[in-house]
Amino acid sequence: MNISTSDIILLAHAAFGATGCLAALWVFVEVLNAQPANAVRIRAAAVVAAICMAGAWICGGYWYVHFYPAEKALILKGPWPFAHNLFMETKEHLFFITAILAFLLPIAARERLYVNPAARQLVLSVAALIVITGLAVEGAGAVINHGVKVALLRDASKGSQ
Amino acid sequence: MKLTAATSGFVLAAAITVLFNTALSCAKDAYAPLKDFMGSLTGHDWTTQGLIDLVLFVGLGAIFMSTRAAERIDSSRLIASLIGAVVIAGLGLCIWFAFV
Repeated sequence: MNISTSDIILLAHAAFGATGCLAALWVFVEVLNAQPANAVRIRAAAVVAAICMAGAWICGGYWYVHFYPAEKALILKGPWPFAHNLFMETKEHLFFITAILAFLLPIAARERLYVNPAARQLVLSVAALIVITGLAVEGAGAVINHGVKVALLRDASKGSQ
Repeated sequence: MKLTAATSGFVLAAAITVLFNTALSCAKDAYAPLKDFMGSLTGHDWTTQGLIDLVLFVGLGAIFMSTRAAERIDSSRLIASLIGAVVIAGLGLCIWFAFV
């Protein structure tokens, strides 16, 4: 087995992102039934979402700056150049929106949600936006990964002929 | 009930930051010298953009919180502004990189 540092950082990036989305979904579900009894749990889940998105930002950023250029060159020479031109370009900038929303979530979750309908509506909206944009970013990551795969498969099939 | 000064301030800051993020993404993509300049600050334009977004969000949030500027805006309107900003910013990025 040969797992490189690049692999670990990339997988940690995706794992942090997915966990952050799940934590935001957890907040959403808890807030649908906001009570004094689950206020601490809501705040904890909101903090988990923010920490996970910060982790995804740091790991993804490090990988993007140090390891992505080689994959980018492969993608652009392969049959799916749009995996970079559209999906990576959109993903790398859309992620900032998800991260800002994730940092907003613990601030909004500090409100007394069980007595404040406006605060409940806000936290539900922010959590839903994190899940939607986060899943879009995760999906874009899968397309980028496939862009590398089809480029390598084409090179491999040329080499075997 | 209304939102607190801290919450409403950071909601408004987030709405402005996400729109600014999309505008900066398009600007640096269209104007290479800006991208090069941003890259020269931290070693990579993406790193610089992330730091600018973070500073803008925290800075504007702190200003709006201390001045209580966002607290005067109706809560529903503030939430709608945030949702609208995220939709416009997200679709704006997608459309820009798909067609420009």
